[in-house]
Amino acid sequence: MTAQMKLGAFLWATGHHIAAWRHPKAHVTAGIDIDHYIQLARTAEAAKFDMIFCEDAAGLREADIGIASQTSRSIGFEPISLLSALAVQTSRIGLVSTASTSYNEPYGLARTFLSLDQLSGGRAGWNLVTSASPIEAANFGATGLKPHADRYERAREFAEVVTGLWHGKLGASGHDGQSFSVRDPLDLPRSPQGAPVMVQAGASDVGRDLAARTADVVFTAAQTFEEAKAFYDDLKGRMAAYGRGPDDIKIMPGVAPVVAETEAEAREKHEELQELIPDDVGLALLSSYLSISDLWRYPIDGPLPDLPESEGMKSRQALVIEQSRRDGLSIRQLARHFAGARGHWRIVGTPAQVADELQARFEGGAADGFNVMPSYFPGELDAFAALVVPELQRRGLFRRDYEGRTLRDHLDLKRPA
Amino acid sequence: MDNGATMHLAVSLFSGIADRGVEPEFSRLASFVQRAEAAKLDMVLLADSAPAAGGGAVNSPMAFEATTLLAALATVTSRIGLVAAASTVAHQPYNLTRRFASLDIISHGRAGWHATMAQAPREAANFSRPDGFSSDDFRRRTEEYIGIVQGLWRGWDADALLFDKAGGRFHDPDKMHLLDHQGEFFSVRGPLNVARSPQDTPVLALSGLSEPDFNIAARTADVILLDDGPAEDTKARFDDLKRRVVACGREPDAVKVLTNVSLEDGPTLAADRLDQRFRSKSCDGFNLLLPARPSALDDFMGLVLPELRRRGLFREGYRGTTLRSHLGLAGGGDQ
Repeated sequence: MTAQMKLGAFLWATGHHIAAWRHPKAHVTAGIDIDHYIQLARTAEAAKFDMIFCEDAAGLREADIGIASQTSRSIGFEPISLLSALAVQTSRIGLVSTASTSYNEPYGLARTFLSLDQLSGGRAGWNLVTSASPIEAANFGATGLKPHADRYERAREFAEVVTGLWHGKLGASGHDGQSFSVRDPLDLPRSPQGAPVMVQAGASDVGRDLAARTADVVFTAAQTFEEAKAFYDDLKGRMAAYGRGPDDIKIMPGVAPVVAETEAEAREKHEELQELIPDDVGLALLSSYLSISDLWRYPIDGPLPDLPESEGMKSRQALVIEQSRRDGLSIRQLARHFAGARGHWRIVGTPAQVADELQARFEGGAADGFNVMPSYFPGELDAFAALVVPELQRRGLFRRDYEGRTLRDHLDLKRPA
Repeated sequence: MDNGATMHLAVSLFSGIADRGVEPEFSRLASFVQRAEAAKLDMVLLADSAPAAGGGAVNSPMAFEATTLLAALATVTSRIGLVAAASTVAHQPYNLTRRFASLDIISHGRAGWHATMAQAPREAANFSRPDGFSSDDFRRRTEEYIGIVQGLWRGWDADALLFDKAGGRFHDPDKMHLLDHQGEFFSVRGPLNVARSPQDTPVLALSGLSEPDFNIAARTADVILLDDGPAEDTKARFDDLKRRVVACGREPDAVKVLTNVSLEDGPTLAADRLDQRFRSKSCDGFNLLLPARPSALDDFMGLVLPELRRRGLFREGYRGTTLRSHLGLAGGGDQ
């Protein structure tokens, strides 16, 4: 059998589009409605998705309280409790949550994810992230952000302790390292899938090395085929250095599809969402993309002004400026463009068009699968499940039913010894 | 609020108490909790089995960490309160606060956090603190921790969420409050990124108290769990605690004091014992530590509970849908 693509259903608040919650069909109370999530999980499971994925942050998403109040992302379920509830309301689909190495301890995190794995019969995964947001830092007494390399060194040790605990390989003397010490083995039974699945999303050089060393799955953001392909080849190429094969890691770029029966309908649906982005929310996001603070001074229907070069964000800034000049976009148009997609790969079109694009990246060696980011819930997850999944199945690119029981089974991952 | 005429009953859930059989462990635990719900008990206390998180049979290892188990149980029950033990050493306060706020929404207002004032001897060594804390430090740290958790739980006003699609206003920024806590052990800005609890705040149950902890408990706890002892001692302790509750400016009924009781006696003896303890006003109810055999709950439900009900000591049904309403605490959300 030829390889089939892996699919994640990335559940986030009212939807991935920044203005999703304002859409007439979006479930606006998602963040306080567990039944809504149970329904989404069942939809994704009926469509045979490999997994549900929840991201996480330990704080508000926006520094500006006024901007925060115009998005739906300031409140929501804490993902480990959410997935634990979903674990016993589903039977096959994988359950993956983000948790930060910056504000947790490895013993507690290993134990919690192993418990989720037990509740779900071997369907849990942990998406390792390091936290860089000053908003999160302020909730954990940190006086300043640690340099990137330090965060990753802590993350590396963290991952080593967690996998050691999961694999039952923490020595009799426990672990006594730079950032962490642990004395006892875990007091829970061994994972039904050997160990929960390790997921990662870091794209930097140290992030890629950490992924090649420890991750089973990598989520990435890539706008173009070339970008996706370069990342894919680079990461797969790093595996040998850690004694691992290229198939031991599954690379799943995020994709934000807007799909409808006809292309015109899909475009209309996308435009409807774009129109709902409040100007100041769009401006705030564009400003953070460009690392400037006074964009509001300029006429919103005029062109982007000449900007001073900023530190740190040079490539992204250049990309935005180039696009605005090339397409003759006003500040408002540009703001909506970036606020809507937030740097992710957006496909607007018919089921066949969406399937074509996914197939091209999958067969072109730029992806092992995709993390699907519906623009609003439940409508756009329903649409992907009803329209795109059957198209992928017809083409033999996606499973018609689950073959195994655990998340490792779904992802064709080896069971750790 | 309740009139104090009937007792509150909690039951502790631990591994040995559920049927051992071919069924997966979760199904067996769920069936236990569903039976406790059918008996209309106020709440189930979920022990956490981390090494040295407590002691005795109540902490014999379970396959699940308590907060994850609570979330799962919440989806297969509808009325009974679910209270999970979670350690102040194992979690950062912001993370623990979020977990329980989320559990409370998942359970529609039936969640509680069981915190202990007693430091578990082996635990800190698994959380990068090989030397643990001195007793004084641990007490001050726990007190500060509880203040943060309860403060964060109150960060969103009950009417903060607007969901106003047309006006583009998801929430009212004036009804979201920063905590801005800066203390000896923690600094936490807030707010929490989980909505307010359906029962105002999750229930806080405190155990492991020694005398210097009584004022902390009197000021912060909704439920206090105390070990059993000679009748005159438990009575004196109960009166002392309630005096301190009043001294903190709270109603005496705002805190429910439950006595941990091991029920190894026969049914009539058990009913007599609970009756006696309750009528002598040495507690507001009991936390039942059943013997580690699957029939123990059925025996209690079939033999002891009807006797307590016959004597008018335990209510026939649930009054509301939240744990606070079962416990007769203010802020129940659905009175």
